[in-house]
Amino acid sequence: MNKLVSINNTFESFQSLIHLYENNKGELFGEIHLEIRQFFAANMSAALGAVLDKFVSNLNNIHFDYINPKIELILLKNDFLTYFGKQRAADTNNTTIKFQKLKPIDGKYFKNYVIEELIEGHNTDLPQMSKGAKEKIIEAIYEIFVNAQIHSETKFIYTCGQFFPNKNKIEFTIVDTGIGFREKINNRFGSQLKSTQAIKWAVEEKRTTKEGISGGLGLAILKEFVGVNKGKMQIVSNDGFYQFDGEGESIKTFEGEFPGTIVNLQFRTDDINNYSLKSEININDIF
Amino acid sequence: MENTTINIVNTIGDVYGVEAEDGQKVFELIIKAFTDKKKVILSFQNIEMLTTAFLNTAIGQLYKDYQEEYIKVNLKVSDVSESGKVALKRVVDTAKLYYKDPEALKRSIDEISED
Repeated sequence: MNKLVSINNTFESFQSLIHLYENNKGELFGEIHLEIRQFFAANMSAALGAVLDKFVSNLNNIHFDYINPKIELILLKNDFLTYFGKQRAADTNNTTIKFQKLKPIDGKYFKNYVIEELIEGHNTDLPQMSKGAKEKIIEAIYEIFVNAQIHSETKFIYTCGQFFPNKNKIEFTIVDTGIGFREKINNRFGSQLKSTQAIKWAVEEKRTTKEGISGGLGLAILKEFVGVNKGKMQIVSNDGFYQFDGEGESIKTFEGEFPGTIVNLQFRTDDINNYSLKSEININDIF
Repeated sequence: MENTTINIVNTIGDVYGVEAEDGQKVFELIIKAFTDKKKVILSFQNIEMLTTAFLNTAIGQLYKDYQEEYIKVNLKVSDVSESGKVALKRVVDTAKLYYKDPEALKRSIDEISED
């Protein structure tokens, strides 16, 4: 029996998901039983969905033997359980950001999803947020989605989020089951970086694995924004863990490996910084 | 030299300039115009969202085949939002450095390997 207990946005919680994956990844045509107890952060549905999809691709059946009723209601509202044969529930509080499974070429669907879930769907919940901050959040989410599209070589991209109106927070997670930072970078440069080194390299400005095209700004700009917004960003790629928040950077290694990459973002919605200040850039002096 | 205007929204069929693939469409049109010795005005009119991934492919990679001076003279942008200007400036500065010093990336890998 697999148990997920108190899954939050922490290193330990990601470790629990990695254990779940490692313990069942060899299973083929099997029955995989799962219990979810105490707490489950809704945005982590994206990571759990990616892991369960790996099991389903080995033709295993997934059984949710027990889900704490409160958790179950959230996972019904955010559509996660509808991917596993349950009837969805209406979200009257309008605080969920739906679980979504997309192909990398589904950019247009992602756009509609972002508009519905983050822009139009929550106009009334985010009164205190400046227009500039909201735009920056959406831009950041896009940069990460596009990164997964371009770099990960994944079959699917999984996203999910959650609003916390009382805590003035939004959490958003983008997951792929592609090759991960380590293999991508080592393939490109013939290096032998560990996952943690690979992530550390990639979050710095101007670091790119694209050949013949400059880049490497998306993660760096995200990191700067997270700093100003007082939010948090976490990257899990294979056995590497990276976190950046007000306390700085922290890097750790997991036992076992996640089969791809998780980017977990937390933004403050009470951010009143004016991001749309007039820049001092002269339009005739860009090139 | 004649001017030609490239409208991004029309080129990509979207007000979101976010995907690298869409940036490529804009890039190819600019190259077409440059090859035909035309000056380009790139219009960002009605663009609502930009990513650096889009701008890298649309504009950044011009620095691979064209000198900075040539681009300065032959490419102008119009109707760019304030945040768009900031992103574009960063993309352009990054591209210039990248093509000037292609070994810089490899060196940064070596540095982190020694950590």
